[in-house]
Amino acid sequence: MDKQQEYVLRSVEERDIRFIRLWFTDVLGILKSVAIAPAELENAFAEGIGFDGSAVEGLTRVYEADMIAKPDPATFQILPWRGERQGAARMFCDIFTPDGEPALSDPRQVLKRTLDKASAQGFSFYTHPEIEFYLFKQFESGQQPVPVDRAGYFDNVPRGTAHNFRREAITMLENMGISVEFSHHEAGPGQNEIDLRYADALTTADNVMTFRTVIKEVALEQGVFASFMPKPLFEAPGSGMHTHMSLFEGDRNAFHEPSGEMGLSLVARQFMAGLLRHAPEITAITNQYVNSYKRLWGGAEAPSYVCWGSNNRSALVRVPVHKPGKGQSARVEYRAMDSAANPYLAFSVLLAAGLKGIEEGLELPEGAEDDVWELSNAERRAMGYEPLPTSLAEAITEMERSELVAETLGERVFDFVLRNKRAEWESYRAQVTPYELDTYLSVL
Amino acid sequence: MSAREVSFTTLLRRAGAADPTRAAGLVEEIQEIVGIEFQDPATLVSYLADPDAGLLQLVRLAEAARDAGHVDTLRGLAATEAGAKLGVLLGGSLALGDFLIRHPELLGDFEAWADAPPFPEIDVRAALLEAVGADPADDAPVAAIGGAEGQRAMRVAYRRALMRVASEDLYSHAPPTLMPAVGAALADLAGAALEAGLAIARHDEPDHAATRLAIIAMGKCGARELNYVSDVDVIYVAEPAEGVEDDRSLRVATRLAVAAAKTCSGMGVEPALWEVDPNLRPEGRDGPLVRNVSAHRAYYERWAETWEFQALLKARPVAGDPEVGERYIEAMWPMVWSAVERDGFVESAQAMRRRVEQHVPAAEADRQIKLGPGGLRDVEFTIQMLQLVHGRADESLRVRGTLDALARLRAGGYVGRPQAATMDRSYRQLRVWEHRLQMRKLTRTHLMPEGDQERRVLARASGFATVHYMDEVWTDIRRDVRAMHLEMFYRPILPVVARLSADEARLDDAAARARLAAVGFVDPAGAYRHIQALTEGVSRSAAIQRQLMPAMIGWFAQGADPDAGLLAFRQLSEQLSSSQWYLKLLRDSATAAERLARLLSTSGYVARALLASGEAVTWLDRDEDLVPRAYDRLWGEADAVLRRSNDPPQAITALRGLRRRELSRVAAADVLGMINASRAALAVSHAADMVIEGALRIAQHQVREARGLDALPIRFAVIAMGRYGGLEMGYQSDADVQFVWDGDTKDGQAIAVQIAQELRTLLQKVGPQPPLEIDADLRPEGRNGPLARSLASCTEYYGRWADPWEAQALLRARPCAGDTDLREAFVRMIDGVRYPERLPDGALKQMRLLKARMEAERLPRGIDPRRHLKLGPGGLSDVEWVVQLTQLRHGHAHPELRTTITLEALAAAADLDLISRPDATQLRSAWVLATDLRGALALRGNVRDTDVLPGDVRELGVLAGILGSSLTGSQLDERYSRNARRARGVTERLFFGWDEDAR
Repeated sequence: MDKQQEYVLRSVEERDIRFIRLWFTDVLGILKSVAIAPAELENAFAEGIGFDGSAVEGLTRVYEADMIAKPDPATFQILPWRGERQGAARMFCDIFTPDGEPALSDPRQVLKRTLDKASAQGFSFYTHPEIEFYLFKQFESGQQPVPVDRAGYFDNVPRGTAHNFRREAITMLENMGISVEFSHHEAGPGQNEIDLRYADALTTADNVMTFRTVIKEVALEQGVFASFMPKPLFEAPGSGMHTHMSLFEGDRNAFHEPSGEMGLSLVARQFMAGLLRHAPEITAITNQYVNSYKRLWGGAEAPSYVCWGSNNRSALVRVPVHKPGKGQSARVEYRAMDSAANPYLAFSVLLAAGLKGIEEGLELPEGAEDDVWELSNAERRAMGYEPLPTSLAEAITEMERSELVAETLGERVFDFVLRNKRAEWESYRAQVTPYELDTYLSVL
Repeated sequence: MSAREVSFTTLLRRAGAADPTRAAGLVEEIQEIVGIEFQDPATLVSYLADPDAGLLQLVRLAEAARDAGHVDTLRGLAATEAGAKLGVLLGGSLALGDFLIRHPELLGDFEAWADAPPFPEIDVRAALLEAVGADPADDAPVAAIGGAEGQRAMRVAYRRALMRVASEDLYSHAPPTLMPAVGAALADLAGAALEAGLAIARHDEPDHAATRLAIIAMGKCGARELNYVSDVDVIYVAEPAEGVEDDRSLRVATRLAVAAAKTCSGMGVEPALWEVDPNLRPEGRDGPLVRNVSAHRAYYERWAETWEFQALLKARPVAGDPEVGERYIEAMWPMVWSAVERDGFVESAQAMRRRVEQHVPAAEADRQIKLGPGGLRDVEFTIQMLQLVHGRADESLRVRGTLDALARLRAGGYVGRPQAATMDRSYRQLRVWEHRLQMRKLTRTHLMPEGDQERRVLARASGFATVHYMDEVWTDIRRDVRAMHLEMFYRPILPVVARLSADEARLDDAAARARLAAVGFVDPAGAYRHIQALTEGVSRSAAIQRQLMPAMIGWFAQGADPDAGLLAFRQLSEQLSSSQWYLKLLRDSATAAERLARLLSTSGYVARALLASGEAVTWLDRDEDLVPRAYDRLWGEADAVLRRSNDPPQAITALRGLRRRELSRVAAADVLGMINASRAALAVSHAADMVIEGALRIAQHQVREARGLDALPIRFAVIAMGRYGGLEMGYQSDADVQFVWDGDTKDGQAIAVQIAQELRTLLQKVGPQPPLEIDADLRPEGRNGPLARSLASCTEYYGRWADPWEAQALLRARPCAGDTDLREAFVRMIDGVRYPERLPDGALKQMRLLKARMEAERLPRGIDPRRHLKLGPGGLSDVEWVVQLTQLRHGHAHPELRTTITLEALAAAADLDLISRPDATQLRSAWVLATDLRGALALRGNVRDTDVLPGDVRELGVLAGILGSSLTGSQLDERYSRNARRARGVTERLFFGWDEDAR
């Protein structure tokens, strides 16, 4: 710990860093940043930096506005896009109350708390997200977004932008110490996917936050616009963040059991059973916006029903087949989450749901082999495939009743999310949309 | 059996042998092997701490000596001082006996000692280095033998020297006097072992010249007060030899350090000496084992925590390169003395102490010589704290050893002479016991033994005639040491503050303030003034205050708000300055002063109550006085007052005074954790019952007089309503009531209203004793209705007009004063209303609407509804409405539900399965917590609205303390939110019927 702090101080001096950005995340998953000068850094480590928490969504109630941000030196990173020398660097922070207690409303602390619970049972939690997003041409607010590579007949390098973009973005991510597993062009026009390498959930969540910033930065540099909106285009697929998960007991993948069905251990099966059982009530966290439900119920591989399958791309929980002898990579994939989720909270509820399954020894229902979308309603009901919430409103109702989510997030975050989401739903419901005008105005 | 044999075993028994027959056999055996005849074997045996084991060891030693050809040496020891030293060693230390049996050739040592210098003067470093063939004159000696052989040679030499120390120690007539010399010798011996270990490591490390490694001892070894077996805490520091790079130097030094430690603590033919613990180094386990001087300094300048400075206080180079060791000390030592200026020094020092105390398993705490209450750790901690607080300004205090520091604190006037003497004596005795226990098997123990035999051995070894006497001394010492912490820390503040003529302890102003700040007073200057006002002067009370104050300061410092506590204490003392009993009680009572300090520094409400009437202080001495008075007894007192008096104003003042007294009593008991919130609420409600009943009697008397009647033509009763009806009143609640009368007379109504008005006036009028507000708004027709109603009118009203909410309000109606028959008649009448056969159509809807409206309208503006304990979601009102709805619906069929007490009704509903067990549990815990919190807020007495949970986590932490809970502020907040959310869920389901799944 102290060695790391020393290392940070040394690096700041050696690399002539002029600003250190202290990063933290509000309850909705929006990155916040406080810049400090190197001279303040030592004090920031020792005592933290005070700031007015009431200005940040969901962090505090007004009457206890003072909060302390303490940088985590293990997350120190030079920001590659701020010039050559005289650069900037960032660290993620944990938020504390003025008394030095961890702030109950800091999403990073929520995840740390949940990881502690797992570690009390001997588990560490690893995740690996596949992050999808769209690239658009620069546009004015109010205009329709135009994807970069359906640009127009006269553009003679129609696929060049995205390719270049990904190369730049990946270089920058690697510069920031974030390993990239895979990247490719996705199904939608202008849609891209970049997969981050397996890491422990806290690192991954930090990486997701960094990733979003890097992608937006690179896009700006290249004169395009990146968005993680779950469903930006009506006719194209939405942007999900399929998340692969596994639990490790020390160095051993606890999901792996060579003799088990599909190489899965009992722990893995119970974990999956927990995910399925609690899927509806955690959806307001994994899919937190009104727009999220347009992706979730827009077809095109989005998992709308609670079931699992091996290599079944319509299932909510998928078991990817791993090569024989690669037991360490045994994992399960949760496909509902979208790219706009708050990764700290989303990983927390996923882990909590899975752990609950293990704790209660839940039995995994039979897997789904059909394409669930092809079945009739009656068939689905007969087979016991419950739908996920179809709207933010339904998701809120499910979450409201959830002890699991309340316990995981803590009462304060739980309450804030509910209030915030209810307000979002109400303001959305009040809108008159272009769709309604098109459909009704002339006819009625 | 011959007569001589019988008397011999008896003698042996008297000499302390547990099995004299066997002991006699062993004596025979020894005489036979060694070939001598003891003159007086029984007396010899009596010198052995453990005669049975000692004799057996002697037999084994004799055999070993015989087999190795040293039996002559053994025989030569008989009846000499050297022989006596061998005897006490065998009786006191089984482990060293075993060592001697392994090495009978060392028997000659005992004789040689007579001509050698006294043990504190021997050069153990030279002895151990020579044993491994290294040159003691060399600054970096290299052993001639390495590896396992070197290790064995070093350990044998170490134990040989240890044997000498132990024999002299056991042979001493005054072990406590010898103790410091023993501790110093053991520390030197440990240093020598590390030095020899390093020499061996150098032998095995070709590149050893690249580095100049010094080993710094911390803790007891550093302070030259080591015990027989203890982890030796070390820190390694290395500088490169000339022309060598630092990296290489550190690598070599790390190898040397590991090897040297292993020589002392690794497995081997000759058993390990002790553990070498390097974990006090910067960054603990995670840090590099060896650093250079500047890296050490950088760490302490930047990162070190308070306790790490406390550890540095004892640092001393013990082995390796002396110059590097000196440089380390020169760099680090000054930092120790500025540690006290750091933020949070006091808190972390106190927290550390609490942690240490908590680590002792409760079962062992009573036997812990080191960590238990009144143990060695207490002595050391007190002395170190004083050194750190005053060492900054006074360099004479900058010494390592505990006893040395104590002597200098005394010489500098920082602690009193008698206190220092007690502490010195206690410390030495505790250490002697610890030494004797460890010596026996060379194990690292700090526990007083449990078994009789073991305790007997310890008593004999440490010079106590009987186990009983040893126990007495042990108890005294622990008590003294506990008290001494307070005495040494706080008492010396007084002379300067109180401007006494120079006593033995002489702090100056600044030192006194430093100590006050060090224990947690936010405003030391203010505290200084208060203490001064209390203790200055020649009056008798100032003299007693001077006795009390040291302990009081300590207790205030433990409370939530030390500054407020001390201020209140000053006010109280000034107010009671003329009361003889006050200071006498505080001085003589075992509990009163401590309780008073806790009350004053925790609860503003109780502090005000005590200031209003100091008599309450007397209760603090007796637990019985802090038990709420039962209603009958209370009423007995009120009744007596009324009988004696024919002066209404004086009588009502007396009754109101009675109530105030009971409230103070209940509040004090509540803060001290002697009763819980619901018991307190019951007692508060009873006090209201008493004063209302009494006031009614006076009111009736006055109306009769005013109207010139012999007897009143009506019967009259008071009905308690709401929370008061449910016996759930808070300290500051109004009394909700309605008035009912009965009688066949035309001016009955006028008389009844007059009585009610009179009663209100009696209770509410401003007077010398606090009023009780009477709120009659829950009567029929509310404020628009007549203040009192006849039973007939009530019957008609409730039968015809009443809204469902009025029936609901009647659920809490409990006649509390007045005519017994009328009370019963009233209950019979309302039972039909509040427990209807079936709920009227539309009533449920109306209730739900009313509740929903209340939620929207009744909450005060500008606060977060979630923090409103009464009306917020999941608050008291939610739970109560659920319970009351159940009572309305099912009270007719189930008489068990007919109670005005919320928790009773809830329990009955759960028993009847009208509310499921899990739901009832959630409702109950939410209600109890909200009630507890309101009580705690009232007791804390620093907010006007006790219905709103504060947002400040520190304040919440104080509330948790009043509740007797160990939760932090944030945790309490989280717990309340969770309970309330769950209770709200149940309410929405059971009361509002919002959940479609609900039946």
